[in-house]
Amino acid sequence: MQKNKHYTGMKVVIYIVCIFLAILSIFPFWIMIINATRSTYEIQQHAISFLPSKFLVKNWNILTGKSFNVLRGFTNSMIISVCSTALNVYFSSLTAYALVIYDWKLRNAFFKFIMAIMMIPAQVTMIGFYQMVYKIHMTNNMLMLILPSIAAPAVVFFMRQYLQPTLSPEIVQSARIDGAGEFRTFNTIVLPIMKPAIATQAIFGFVNSWNNLFTPMVLLTDQKKYTMPIMVSLLKGDIYKTEFGSIYLGLTLTVLPLFIVYFALSKYIIAGVALGSVKG
Amino acid sequence: MRNKKSVKYAKYGYLFSLPFIITFLIFSLYPIFYTLVIGFTDMKGIGATKFHILDDPLGNFKTVLSNRTFKMALKNTVIIWLGNFIPQIVLALLLTAWFTDRRCKVKGQGVFKVLFYMPNIITAATIAILFGALFAYPTSPMNDLFHSLGWAKEPIYFLQNKKLAKGVIIFIQTWMWYGYTMVVMISGVLGINPEIFEAAEVDGANRTQTFFYITLPQIKTILLFTLVTSVVGGLNMFDIPKLFLDGGPDNATITTSVFIYKQAFAGSYLYNRAAAASVIMFIIIAIISAIMFRILKEDDPESAYAGKKRRVRNAEK
Amino acid sequence: MKKRRLVAGAMCALMATTLLAGCGKSDDKETTAAPATDTTASETDGGDDTTAAPTSGETVNINLWSFTDEIPNMVQKYIDTHPDCGFTCTPTIIATTDGAYQPALDQALMGGGADAPDLYAAEAAFILKYSQGEAAQYAAAYADLGIDIDAKIKEADIAQYSVDIGTNPDGKVVALGYQATGGAFIYRRSIAKDTWGTDDPAEIAKKIGGGSGNLDAFWTAAEELKAKGYGIVSGDGDLWHAVENSSDKGWIVDGALTIDPKREAFLDYSKKLKDNGYHNDTQDWQDAWFADMKGEGAKQIFGFFGPAWLINYTLAPNCGGEAVGEGTYGDWAVCEPPIGFFWGGTWLLANKDVPAEKVEAVKTIIEWITLDCTEDGLQYMWANGTLNGEGGTKDCVASGTVMAMSNGELDFLGGQNMFDVFVPANQYANGKNLTPYDETINSAWRDQVRQYSSGEKSREDAIADFKSNVGDVLDITVD
Repeated sequence: MQKNKHYTGMKVVIYIVCIFLAILSIFPFWIMIINATRSTYEIQQHAISFLPSKFLVKNWNILTGKSFNVLRGFTNSMIISVCSTALNVYFSSLTAYALVIYDWKLRNAFFKFIMAIMMIPAQVTMIGFYQMVYKIHMTNNMLMLILPSIAAPAVVFFMRQYLQPTLSPEIVQSARIDGAGEFRTFNTIVLPIMKPAIATQAIFGFVNSWNNLFTPMVLLTDQKKYTMPIMVSLLKGDIYKTEFGSIYLGLTLTVLPLFIVYFALSKYIIAGVALGSVKG
Repeated sequence: MRNKKSVKYAKYGYLFSLPFIITFLIFSLYPIFYTLVIGFTDMKGIGATKFHILDDPLGNFKTVLSNRTFKMALKNTVIIWLGNFIPQIVLALLLTAWFTDRRCKVKGQGVFKVLFYMPNIITAATIAILFGALFAYPTSPMNDLFHSLGWAKEPIYFLQNKKLAKGVIIFIQTWMWYGYTMVVMISGVLGINPEIFEAAEVDGANRTQTFFYITLPQIKTILLFTLVTSVVGGLNMFDIPKLFLDGGPDNATITTSVFIYKQAFAGSYLYNRAAAASVIMFIIIAIISAIMFRILKEDDPESAYAGKKRRVRNAEK
Repeated sequence: MKKRRLVAGAMCALMATTLLAGCGKSDDKETTAAPATDTTASETDGGDDTTAAPTSGETVNINLWSFTDEIPNMVQKYIDTHPDCGFTCTPTIIATTDGAYQPALDQALMGGGADAPDLYAAEAAFILKYSQGEAAQYAAAYADLGIDIDAKIKEADIAQYSVDIGTNPDGKVVALGYQATGGAFIYRRSIAKDTWGTDDPAEIAKKIGGGSGNLDAFWTAAEELKAKGYGIVSGDGDLWHAVENSSDKGWIVDGALTIDPKREAFLDYSKKLKDNGYHNDTQDWQDAWFADMKGEGAKQIFGFFGPAWLINYTLAPNCGGEAVGEGTYGDWAVCEPPIGFFWGGTWLLANKDVPAEKVEAVKTIIEWITLDCTEDGLQYMWANGTLNGEGGTKDCVASGTVMAMSNGELDFLGGQNMFDVFVPANQYANGKNLTPYDETINSAWRDQVRQYSSGEKSREDAIADFKSNVGDVLDITVD
């Protein structure tokens, strides 16, 4: 009895906190979507409103009228984000696997090296990177935004930290006894074990890549290659003609695919198909 | 026995790390090397391609370290980082404890988890615009609120106030990242063998005990990840301080990354000073990270042994 | 064989134009699919008599870099109306927001090669860097492109400041603008009538001290407006643009940070505005500033300092209406400002490494935009709002010749001919007080001014902090 009561009180607190946080989370999305239906003028008067207005179509026309090609932006962003996320999680898992399961001479040195490059501030290596890309004349090449994600030190670090306690060497041993090659063992046995970690990192990676503005902005100068965030920033940059409603609509469109990916992968966040929980 | 086998398989360690290493060499080595070198040179100005090592190789480092704005930026970075790091970790741990509690299932936790991570999805530019509107002066929802609650007669210039501006950035950072930290930690907890919890229950451990003595030590590796990435991310914080108030008012929200960016791009193209500042930041971050590794004793032999033993048991089953 | 190549050329043109049109499917008026098809059709026509491309028989593609779609739309217009011009254009538009335009442009100029910009735009905030400063090395002299620059400038009577700004250290013109951005005071007629019983621009100019060179009368007017419950300006930023560009010296003199006395006085102006409640304390380009254009701020605001573009691109779209009687539309007038100034403008530059086969096209575009003073030139259409058909936005242009034959009457200004005020205003514009770092230094200055006017710090501290902040970020001498 006593115990139950304690739980109920506890639960009330938990729910109050959670609902409060949930409202905080929904709030900006709500404002963004509502403002996408409001006119620039209405937004200037009151940036925040909880009720939609009737300017969605007008905003859409302004948006698409400003050489804002939604479909192209979508496609470009998708290509870059999907490819770089896939490369990112796959090769990071592979590298992490190499770090966890094999005893090789340079293993510790390599791990320390990864940790070290993870700490380098991004802002200035940027300069060197841009100069390099311009020098080798690879601007406007999406590969320049996709390929570097193969080497993602932070993700390798996460995967290693995840794999370290969860993967038992015995599983790998038994696969070897069954005659599986090392590469196959990784693909068929280890990858499934890492599913929850891969799902979370895939979400993070996708979100990062999708929202990345500065690098694509400097490297992709060809309108055909523009990603969604570049297009949105163009709207904002047209300082003489600030169309807030359309900007919010653009921002909303940028978030939509993220929602889709996010909710598709969110079951891993919700349920978590972790190694330990697969019982029997 | 084990050792012999490992030797045989060692080449795969190299092989599987190869894609990472090659990519790194192609895309990152040159930029990093470049940064390192120009920190010691006189390279500045647009179109500068020629440079030579300064007579006083540490000249740029001295300039940066005595630069008032850099010191201010460093102080801000630490304040803003600590200000969001602590509540973020506490909140994330609390939520992790609640959501992974086997005895007190929170209903609808799936929805909550999904919602809590959501602020991280929106791009920083949008968040900057939204919060700018929320706290605008003289008319904004926040001012409306303060007015209608009778807290203020005159409209408040929230973002002109240095402490409030910093506070808002701290809030945004916490709000954007606690969900991420929570998701990472929960994925760690879900990786723990449930038998351990069962055993703890049988032993009569209460929930607080279970969390502190079972869960936390078990997710130590993930915790270390969270801490280190938070140090790296927090001390390199750029998007929100840059986009929200561009370091203002009166440099109250300038972070070292914004400083570096401004040195390099906003005006004089002081690549050399920016590079020197980057190297300084790298050293600071590396030291703090090393301390975290030390504290959490990543390679504690005893716990590793316990872990292995557990694994063996698991495999036998 | 030859025909085949032309067809291929036409195909390329088709592809390029469809790509340029961007969202070809949408039925928008400006960047439309319709003109794109026109171009294609004409290209093919030209193909039949094999005179499509005048220079080399091949259509060249011009890389155009800009920070808005303004110039790309102009060039597209030219291509649409001159189907046999022999060039296409690939615009690269990078917003100045978040400071992205300059780094990208600089990298592209440095990088060179096929992607390098052939033509690029710079605005007043950073034009000096590209015409006289560090990046001047990349700009081609107009004369080297084959433009008879001196004669053309004389013929078109180009505003001298535009030429000064665009002249490189060797005395050669490398950049010219198409706008003229001399400023005026733009005020609400109804408030003028309520306060002084008249809305006549000549009378109001007297009230605010138009042409006096000081703000004495302006402050008296502010007090009189305050008595009626009005604010004279929306925020201190409105006054800043007038102060900034009327000062004698720029921020940097001989490599050292200099605070012109007129700019230093802005500290006191800002404080005075705030302490006396003469304004709504808004910041330019923020929501509350726009709200004042519709008269929906805390108090009604009398006016704004600005050039002609402020009327058309900022005031008109934000006045809350599109015809007389709606919002504040039609309730405005312009008069001579107490202190002369200019604000903004866009200049057009050519890359000195532009490939030989593109020179002719680059020359054509530059001449058409910056120097052509006929009715077919860009500036005539720009001044009279006919670039995209009758009834478009009117603006002041750099060519005096064009201004003389243009009509600046606007319904928005209650039928007033704005050129009567703006053309004389251009005499105040000079390029002498600009520096390549104005954007950075201005924001540091405005930041400290706000600290002082809001009472956060003393005048001395504000100036000292301003100096040290600028010295920390830029490579200039600070005392």
